Amino acid sequence: MEEKEEVIKVEDLTKDYGNGHGIFDITFSVKKHETFGFVGTNGSGKTTTIRHIMGFIKAQKGNVQVLGMDAWKDSCEIKKYVSYIPGEIAFPDLYTGTAFLKAQAELLKLKDWTYANTLIERLQLDPSANLKRMSKGMKQKTAIVAALMADKDILIMDEPTTGLDPLMRETFLELVKEEKQKGKTILMSSQMFDELEATCDRVALIFDGRIIDIADINALKNSHVKAYKVEFKNKEDYQNFKRTKYKIIRDQEKYFQVTVQIEDKDINKLFKSLTKYDVKFIAEVKFNLEKHFKDVLAKKGGENV
Amino acid sequence: MFSGALFKQSMKANWVKWTCVTVATCAMLAIVIIVLGSLAINDIRDSLKSVFQDAEMQSVVQENAIDGYTLSDQTLEFENTIQTNQYLTQDMADVINSVFWANAVSGYDTAIDELEADGTLATEEEKEAVRAELTPSLAETFGGFLPMLGMEMSDDQLLSFADCFLRAYDADGRQVNDPSDENFVDGIKRIFESTYLNFLYDTAYQTEYDAIYQEEMAKEDAIESEVIEIAEASALVQAQGARDIAEKSIETYKNPEITLPEDLSILANEIINDYLYDQVYTESVNGGMSDTDARTTATAVKVMSNTAISTYEFYLNEEDLPLEEGQTQEEYAKEQATRSITDQIPEDVASALEELGNMDIYGLIIGSIFYQIAGLLLPMVYVIMVANGLLAGQVDSGSMAYVLSTPIKRRTVTVTQMAYLMISLFCMFALVTVTSVISIWIVGGDAFAINFAEILLLNLGAFLTMFAFSGFCFMCSALFNRTKHSLSIGGGISIFMLVCTILGLFGSSVVPAAMRIDAMNVFNYVSIITLFDTVSILNGGIDFLWKFAILAGIGIITFIIGVFRFDKKDLPL
Repeated sequence: MEEKEEVIKVEDLTKDYGNGHGIFDITFSVKKHETFGFVGTNGSGKTTTIRHIMGFIKAQKGNVQVLGMDAWKDSCEIKKYVSYIPGEIAFPDLYTGTAFLKAQAELLKLKDWTYANTLIERLQLDPSANLKRMSKGMKQKTAIVAALMADKDILIMDEPTTGLDPLMRETFLELVKEEKQKGKTILMSSQMFDELEATCDRVALIFDGRIIDIADINALKNSHVKAYKVEFKNKEDYQNFKRTKYKIIRDQEKYFQVTVQIEDKDINKLFKSLTKYDVKFIAEVKFNLEKHFKDVLAKKGGENV
Repeated sequence: MFSGALFKQSMKANWVKWTCVTVATCAMLAIVIIVLGSLAINDIRDSLKSVFQDAEMQSVVQENAIDGYTLSDQTLEFENTIQTNQYLTQDMADVINSVFWANAVSGYDTAIDELEADGTLATEEEKEAVRAELTPSLAETFGGFLPMLGMEMSDDQLLSFADCFLRAYDADGRQVNDPSDENFVDGIKRIFESTYLNFLYDTAYQTEYDAIYQEEMAKEDAIESEVIEIAEASALVQAQGARDIAEKSIETYKNPEITLPEDLSILANEIINDYLYDQVYTESVNGGMSDTDARTTATAVKVMSNTAISTYEFYLNEEDLPLEEGQTQEEYAKEQATRSITDQIPEDVASALEELGNMDIYGLIIGSIFYQIAGLLLPMVYVIMVANGLLAGQVDSGSMAYVLSTPIKRRTVTVTQMAYLMISLFCMFALVTVTSVISIWIVGGDAFAINFAEILLLNLGAFLTMFAFSGFCFMCSALFNRTKHSLSIGGGISIFMLVCTILGLFGSSVVPAAMRIDAMNVFNYVSIITLFDTVSILNGGIDFLWKFAILAGIGIITFIIGVFRFDKKDLPL
């Protein structure tokens, strides 16, 4: 893989709020045209990291750069290239969604409404509704339009899918993919593994203010190592199989089941071996990000113990 | 440094509040001024004031009556003496001449004859010089003679009397110097009458002049030449009055139609009553009063005078009076006779009532109550809410993120929001000012108790006060990320100060002493509203100017702190 320009660069970022709250030694970078995801539980530090990138918070330690500029000092300059969807949706004290979008366009010095109108149509948003009476989903859609309409190079989104119904979520994820294809650099956080898996190139897992792991989705998806679940009809076969050299990552004795991890090139060997046993069924265990991170966390937990 | 889009957004977000507060404040002010201007709220105050004025006038009338009565009585006694004295008869002419008269007049005759030897008449200055030379020895002569007529005088009075005598003698034509003339003694009596009148005139003039001079010079901004003018005018009136009364007394004494009573003071009483009646009647008619009204007024004064004199007489003849030390019976009697209503109520109550009468009720209601309290309340609520909403509220809710995710510096945000707060406040008070000027114009313009210049200064002061509060609230809004902190500190302290001003009102000098609790004044020291010195503005002082400067300073400094602090802090957006 060729080395691309690092659009967002975070090094050793630390903000200690005391009592173990805060973020510690966060280091990662988002390359140009890359979609980068943040996943983590509530209060793990996703939003705090994003606020540093947006220049709302000053770093205690470490260094945050966007397009080579300091996120705190050159915050204003950076905003020319950054669109932002905040995690907490609260609008200024204006009457309707249209008024808000207009005010926002004025702040952005945006004259062309074509893209905004396209977005409004795609998201099936009625911007003439009263801002105060909007449902959570409506508000979220309004916020998405407000951020995307400026069509800037970098998109930073803090849990952008909260409140959206499943259909809308799909539409939104499609939008993100389109933005990505347009060549945008995207940083988004979420609690949902699947949506990050669907959109991101890389995903960082944040836990208790630290980055535990950064997973390369493409690498995981195209991994040569796969897992298969096999159930045997009788105990004897089950026990005999276990004596072979295959790497067993899960073992369920009650059902005479084993999950075998195996490289693609050895698959024929496995099938041959299995012909000797009375197999009830065999299934590939699908890769997923959630599983990956669970494994990572479990491993880490094991290390700690 | 300034964002038009953000300014517009702030306007859209707050125009309803602005309109409500402005309309309500303007309406309140207009109602206050128009009600005060048309309902003649000063009626009670005026009647209270007139009670005190009437009482004072009554005292003056009574005092004059008693003084006139004393004067008239003395004159009657004097006239009675010279008319009935055993020595002043034609039979005694030679004796009088040899004992006293020749001494008294021959020196003067010689001196004047010498002056006029060249055929020209002696001037008044020359005569005065001659009199000045002769009076000391003549005074000595009178000192031996007057007691024989029953008159006791001090040395100063004798000098004055001698001078008056020579003037009277001169005015009479210096004819009375032949004891063999059958009119010699009548001439002497005539000259003594004139002397007495001159003497009364001089004495009254000097006494009044000295009293007025001292009284006027004691005032702070006294100019001597003006004081002398005032004293001379007053002394002239007093002296003429005294001579009028004395002449009238002598005339009455000599009137053959009047039977002289045994007690001449009864006659003196009548003379004074009639004299005051005539004077008041003439003055009233000249002043444009109808004949009937003038009679009524004059009669009232006559009755007042009669009562005062009777009371005076009563106390003069009473024994065992509770005299204070150094007080003569005459003084006590006069004091009792001239007591007015206000003297009869306790002194502190009287002074409280008098202060109430002199209270500036317009200044209190418009200056202290409206501009310092009621008129500030709604703008203060506006400032507290809006200042919070411009920064802290948006940071707390998170909506500031939309503004700050656009290429706008934080400094631009704060300066724009500050500008909005200041300009909206300025416009608010501009409208309040227009309202106040129009209202005052409706109720009578500069004739109203508060004139245009004063109302403009009151509005400026109210604006500067709110400017200081808006700076403070803005600073709190910039310092805190939470609405609850910004509101409780910024709003809390602002409201606290307003409440302190309300409590402090009961201890401030604008409230009459009867209602004032001085200890409450401490509240004024904790409120910056006190720096809005309405009393100084309405009394035409200049103290309010430096206080205005402090208010403006508070506003500017707090705004600056807010702007700089907001640049540097972490925002939870």
